[in-house]
Amino acid sequence: MKSNKVAAAAVLTLAIGTTAACGSSGGSGGSDASGAQAAHGPVNVWLSNNPEEVAWGKAMVEAWNTAHPTELVTAQEIPAGKTSEEVIGAAITAGNAPCLVFNTAPAAVPQFQKQGGLVALDSFPDGKAYVEARTGAPADQYKSPDGKFYQLPWKSNPVMIFYNKDIMTKAGIDAENPPLATYDEFLATSKKIVSSGAAQAAIWPAPTSEFFQSWFDFYPLYAAETGGKQLVEDGKATFDSEEGKRVSNFWRTMYAEKLAPQEKYPADSFADKKAAMSIVGPWAISVYGDKVKWGAVPVPTSAGTTADKTYTFSDAKNIAMYSACKNQGTAWDLLKFSTSKDQDGALLDKTGQMPLRKDIATVYADYFSSHPDYKKFADQAARTIEVPNVPNSIAIWQTFRDGYTSSVIFGKTPIDDAFKTSSDKVTALAGQS
Amino acid sequence: MGFLLLGAFVFLFPFYYMVIGSLQKTPDTSIAGAIPTHGLTLDNYSQINERVDLARSLVNSGIFTGGVILFTVVFGVLAGYALARLHFRGRSTLFALMLLVMMVPFQLLIIPLYVMVVRSYGLADSYMGMILPFAINSTAVFVFRQFFLSLPEDLFAAARIDGAGELRILWSIALPLVRPALVTAALLTFIGPWNEFLWPFLITKDQDLQPLAVSLANYISNIAGRAANPFGAILAGAVVLAAPAVALFVAFQKHFTSSELGSGVKG
Amino acid sequence: MPNATVTGKAKDRSGSTTPPPKRRAPRLTTLFGRQPLGIGLAAPYAVFLAAVFAYPLGLAVWISFHDYFFTAPGAQVARPFVGLDNYKTALADPAVRRSFLNVVEFLVINVPLTVVLALVLANALNGAIRGRTFLRVAYYVPYVTASVAVVAVWLFLFSSNGMVNQLLGPLAPDPSWLINNKLVMPVIAIFVTWKQLGFFILLYLAALQNVPRELYEAASVDGAGKFRSFMNVTVPGVRPATTLVVILATITGANLFTEPYLLTSGGGPNGASASPVLVMYQKGIEQGNPDVASAIGVILVIGVLVISLINRRLLERD
Repeated sequence: MKSNKVAAAAVLTLAIGTTAACGSSGGSGGSDASGAQAAHGPVNVWLSNNPEEVAWGKAMVEAWNTAHPTELVTAQEIPAGKTSEEVIGAAITAGNAPCLVFNTAPAAVPQFQKQGGLVALDSFPDGKAYVEARTGAPADQYKSPDGKFYQLPWKSNPVMIFYNKDIMTKAGIDAENPPLATYDEFLATSKKIVSSGAAQAAIWPAPTSEFFQSWFDFYPLYAAETGGKQLVEDGKATFDSEEGKRVSNFWRTMYAEKLAPQEKYPADSFADKKAAMSIVGPWAISVYGDKVKWGAVPVPTSAGTTADKTYTFSDAKNIAMYSACKNQGTAWDLLKFSTSKDQDGALLDKTGQMPLRKDIATVYADYFSSHPDYKKFADQAARTIEVPNVPNSIAIWQTFRDGYTSSVIFGKTPIDDAFKTSSDKVTALAGQS
Repeated sequence: MGFLLLGAFVFLFPFYYMVIGSLQKTPDTSIAGAIPTHGLTLDNYSQINERVDLARSLVNSGIFTGGVILFTVVFGVLAGYALARLHFRGRSTLFALMLLVMMVPFQLLIIPLYVMVVRSYGLADSYMGMILPFAINSTAVFVFRQFFLSLPEDLFAAARIDGAGELRILWSIALPLVRPALVTAALLTFIGPWNEFLWPFLITKDQDLQPLAVSLANYISNIAGRAANPFGAILAGAVVLAAPAVALFVAFQKHFTSSELGSGVKG
Repeated sequence: MPNATVTGKAKDRSGSTTPPPKRRAPRLTTLFGRQPLGIGLAAPYAVFLAAVFAYPLGLAVWISFHDYFFTAPGAQVARPFVGLDNYKTALADPAVRRSFLNVVEFLVINVPLTVVLALVLANALNGAIRGRTFLRVAYYVPYVTASVAVVAVWLFLFSSNGMVNQLLGPLAPDPSWLINNKLVMPVIAIFVTWKQLGFFILLYLAALQNVPRELYEAASVDGAGKFRSFMNVTVPGVRPATTLVVILATITGANLFTEPYLLTSGGGPNGASASPVLVMYQKGIEQGNPDVASAIGVILVIGVLVISLINRRLLERD
């Protein structure tokens, strides 16, 4: 009978698989870590495929290669976006990750670290000192639970509220100083925009369930409202609190009154002028270009805070060194080279993104005087919070997002209940190792 | 007949809309926009060409798909024949394994497969690495098997009585007859690798090796947003991805007829 | 697979008696079967299956019984056997349960719709004489295009301001299709039906060739009209094809991934369009829990196997 044959096939499969598993789990020969650290030679690196970053990356690599002909660097682009973590994770498992990835998301670092895929920068004699000297106090947020740095904080995109000046004018709002500082003001302005027909939506954050979407609706406002608290602190979820609920109720109102749509816009709603505002960092400026006359303000808080005290989400992307790297000595030197004062300046110049460096407003004063638009972001960059560096970080964000979409975006469950459930789950996840 | 035409219209409408949308200068979602009278432009397409090396990607897709079709046709025909006409130990188990394989979702296997192909076989960033998991298409083997089953038993019995060895029978009788099934199987096999995104995406970092599906999917999700008309750019990317498959199909569709697959559903 | 030729030797269609094959050495026969050449011919395929599927599948099953995550080569990590823990975790997770319910909802809509539409259209195409090429191309085109390409258009059409809602005017659902947790799975089911129909029309077209013309003639002699002869001659006549269509549609439907991934980015409103494979992907690849993901996968494969066997049993009652 056929089922016997199916059973036979299944057993055969299992047998092959088990023997293979026993072989693979034993671990195939450890790499000589200490040897690799001293080694110098060719390295390869990955860049994101953001065109401006690629331009910067290529120039940086060329400069290095000219100066170091025996330690040549090859750079490849990997697609940015939600798939880059999968690519890196798969590469770690297969043992073919590059030496450096100039697009390592802080949220993915705990996972890569757990896999044994990252090299602790502290293992280099000047590692810790370099990171702390360059970034200053905010560097602490990037330490792993064991106190070491498995990533170098590279650049941030402090999230602010962009608004379309023309749409504001059309709605009868002061385009130079739109009232957007408190929740009440923000709601009133939004209502005016939509009811006057100046735009289809006041603001259009993506209402979808990917784990990272909360970084662009809930988290920036939460950072501002709490004056700089992370989602998880000391192993406990913090968002099931008065502040968390205030932020959520604000967004709930936006969705309930149809000021923000519950459906994803397939392209960029701000660039296409369907939304009057957007909540994003300075990398978007080159996307908007001349399409939109924009202004930027910090994210709102319930009672209103001055710009110089408002916090936000950093949307940082960092550089990590991967354990598959054979010539870690060169990789470390390259890491320092690519984050030197000159290279950080070139990055700022070419991409408009803020290097995670102390006092950029003064160090690059020339740039900011010729690009006054960006000055706001430089100021904001001093007050950003990062995603918490805890185990199961991605699962934590997914859990949070699921509770958030159900209660805040679609209003299907009461916020109090949803947040209590998510908060318990998140605390449990953060406690696993 | 009218019913058929209505159905055809409904089926084709999204494609029509895709093409129209890709030619628009500014996105127009209204009903009137479906029948445009002005404002059509090829800009969206030229923008793709600036960012994606279409020719190179097409070649890569061709090599990837061609390799799969080659392996499938060569080894699949042999396996299909053996499963249909020859009695050997392990035949039913192999058949059951084939069916089991068709039921398992690729996402369950993808990381172990990736590790195996890259670590154990060292095939990262290579055409062979792309081809390997798809090398012999089980559906095609199934088609070949059913085809050989449908051939009259007399043909083989007579040859055996005449004293022909099995290899001889395979070479002189079975293979010459299999031609119609070959085209069907080739067309069926083509669709998979041509449209496959996830596997080549993981396996190749070198952009020179990436097939069309990966380059365009990448363009659609990451780069089209920068274009002057992002919507149009996305749709243009989609049209470019779909066009070769449709063109090939239209060219060969007369082979994709009922008689070749008829053997697949005999009672 | 459905037809009777599956389980054993090929049915001898000619019905004539054939003399027994040449005698071979008995020991070889019992060891390798009557035509051992078969082993040689099938060997490349068998090796391919073993290497490319059996190994990863076996590993996936093994992973599902251990506390496992992928590590860099050389990283030493404990991987204790945990019995059914991963399965318990998976089934206890409401998102996972929801995804299985979603896929059942999907199948309940997609499979009957596919069978009915494919048969009706194949029947009509069979009889059509003019414009046959154009019609065939029209129906097959969605099948040969990549989902990635077509999804963009569907998003465009079914969005809140899209053409479908504009045509429906006041009848448009609120919330709109893709954000309505009651409507989103049906929309995906219809999308997949549209996309795959060409393949199934092909299968039915082939089967229709084998329904003997005499039966139709007999039916019309008996006074049966078009509908009657369709129900009493065509439908029973293509029974084996129906079984094949149902089983193939069930398998592809159960393994649904690309459409929820692309159409509703991450599982739709409240996970209303998450499929088991999507959840598997999120847990296994995004969140680094391949052990729970593998458990979900194994449960899915077993479920598909059971449903296929039931379908086959039900449909081949003779």
